[in-house]
Amino acid sequence: MAIKVERPPVAGGRKPLFPRLVRALNRESFFQNVLAMPMQLLLWFLLIIPTLIVLYLSLVAWEPRMGVDWWQAPFAWFRNYGHVLSDVRFWQAIVRTIGVVVVAVALEFAIGLALALFFQRDFLGKRLFTAVILYPMMLPWVVVGLAFYLLFLEKGLVNYILIHFLGFETGVAWYHYPAVALSTIILADVWQWTPFMFLILYSGLGALPRDPVEAAMTLGASRWQIFRYITMPMLKQVIIIALIIRSLEAFKIFDLVFIMTGGGPGTATESLSLYIYRLGFVYGQLSYAAAMAVLILVSISIIIRLAVRPLEYEV
Amino acid sequence: MTLIGQASRWLGALAICLVILLPVVWVLSISFKPPQEWLAYPPTIIPVEPTTSNYIVLFQPGNPVGGVAAMVSSAEPVTQALINSLIIAPIATAASVLIGFFAAYAVSRYRVGGTFMPFFTLTTRMFPPVAFAVPLLVYYRMLGLIDTQLGLILMYTAFTVAFSLWMMKGFIDGVPRHIEEAAVLDGASPWRVLFTITLPLVRGGLAATALFVFILNWTEFLFALVFTSREAITIPVQVSHYVGAVGRFYGPQAALGIVASIPVVVAGYLIQRHLVTGFTFGLVRE
Repeated sequence: MAIKVERPPVAGGRKPLFPRLVRALNRESFFQNVLAMPMQLLLWFLLIIPTLIVLYLSLVAWEPRMGVDWWQAPFAWFRNYGHVLSDVRFWQAIVRTIGVVVVAVALEFAIGLALALFFQRDFLGKRLFTAVILYPMMLPWVVVGLAFYLLFLEKGLVNYILIHFLGFETGVAWYHYPAVALSTIILADVWQWTPFMFLILYSGLGALPRDPVEAAMTLGASRWQIFRYITMPMLKQVIIIALIIRSLEAFKIFDLVFIMTGGGPGTATESLSLYIYRLGFVYGQLSYAAAMAVLILVSISIIIRLAVRPLEYEV
Repeated sequence: MTLIGQASRWLGALAICLVILLPVVWVLSISFKPPQEWLAYPPTIIPVEPTTSNYIVLFQPGNPVGGVAAMVSSAEPVTQALINSLIIAPIATAASVLIGFFAAYAVSRYRVGGTFMPFFTLTTRMFPPVAFAVPLLVYYRMLGLIDTQLGLILMYTAFTVAFSLWMMKGFIDGVPRHIEEAAVLDGASPWRVLFTITLPLVRGGLAATALFVFILNWTEFLFALVFTSREAITIPVQVSHYVGAVGRFYGPQAALGIVASIPVVVAGYLIQRHLVTGFTFGLVRE
């Protein structure tokens, strides 16, 4: 509800110098639009105009090295899109990125849920422990990448542990095998973002009403039954939100790959973001990268529509 | 709970925390090791001969310290990047939080933009930033904003304003409407209500939002990588340069990683309570 009350004249109040101007400034419609204006300008200049530009770029054949300005480039219409759809490296990057998202988010959810349940009971020093658990997600991605890069060096700590405590003959050359290199990236992502899952599920669990659980207990339900049929359904909303947010974030994966493997060996660990980055800013094929960007924008919009729909009905 | 139950839980939590701490402890350890210990076998967590030369060469690459300087003399000093980050991140944070606060007030109290506008802002966080970086490059080249602090500040403001809007909307929704209405009845203008009634009441929320947005701005990597080359380079990009360009100089790399992490770990510690609201745009309430 908007606050719509005619202001009574203030008795004895100071008379404004420009009564008309002051009245105009204080009019509700002016007030609320001025408040929202800076953000709308910002979004116009840094979101809407660039989106229009990317659409245009994707329809022309332009590379910075051509020596003409981008608005003078000849139209290629949908040829860029055709090239993207027949680009093997693009599809490989998509499948790889989705694979990373699925594996990483599933692991993060499972570990995060286990941790959240573990931390439901009180014990000595719980607050300190939760503080420690939370900090990985605050760190810069590049620093997390650096930390895991240092851990997984050929003569690094992980290989030392493998050889001396787990009986491996030699250390593993982590960055020489595609699947192994990819798994170190997933591990880094899981290390950094399990705390996110833990945090959301932990506070979600803490906010649940106690009555249904206590009622079930008096009726003799087992702990598993309570968890499966009472806690989980009540937590469903929170779980869906956490999974959506984390999946969208994980799909952006760039920094970890850039730092840890640079997409290597070859292009075996290249994520979609890294491939678009290279096309646009290393190889200078901007229209091609633009077409790819548009395809990504469109498909993610569709996925979000589909993912959010069940939520809206339940809210 | 029984004493044994307590103890086992405590030990379990300790083990979890050790696993979580390991990567960072390892980086911290390497950052204080002299070159011959970086890859020493067997590795030690506590450096045998601890040294601060890794940190010193970050700021004085030409200055020979402990034999490390010669190796990283090819790398640029990190001073420029540190100063840039210290300018860009706070200014962008202040702008984002202020703009977000005003917009959140308009959305919360007057439903400006209906349901579309607040959700539309979320698109800046849903899509991979690289998809926006492509058009922004040609756009920024036209405007002459490439490799400028202003360019990054504008971009960071725009791409974190969704967080500011949604977090602040949560806090503003929590302020009872009748307090503001009472002030209006007393003859206060809407501006006065906003600045003298609502703003002081959401001060804590404003601080939490600012720290959260600061973490995002400080750690942002891709835009900084694409849109800066020399003048406006930020700390995360500098980290990547150290990993990429100076090869196997693990000590200074680790030291830089630690330097880059300190501000965000402090900020994060201060706003632990508000992290859920932050990371879920207020969709999950505590």
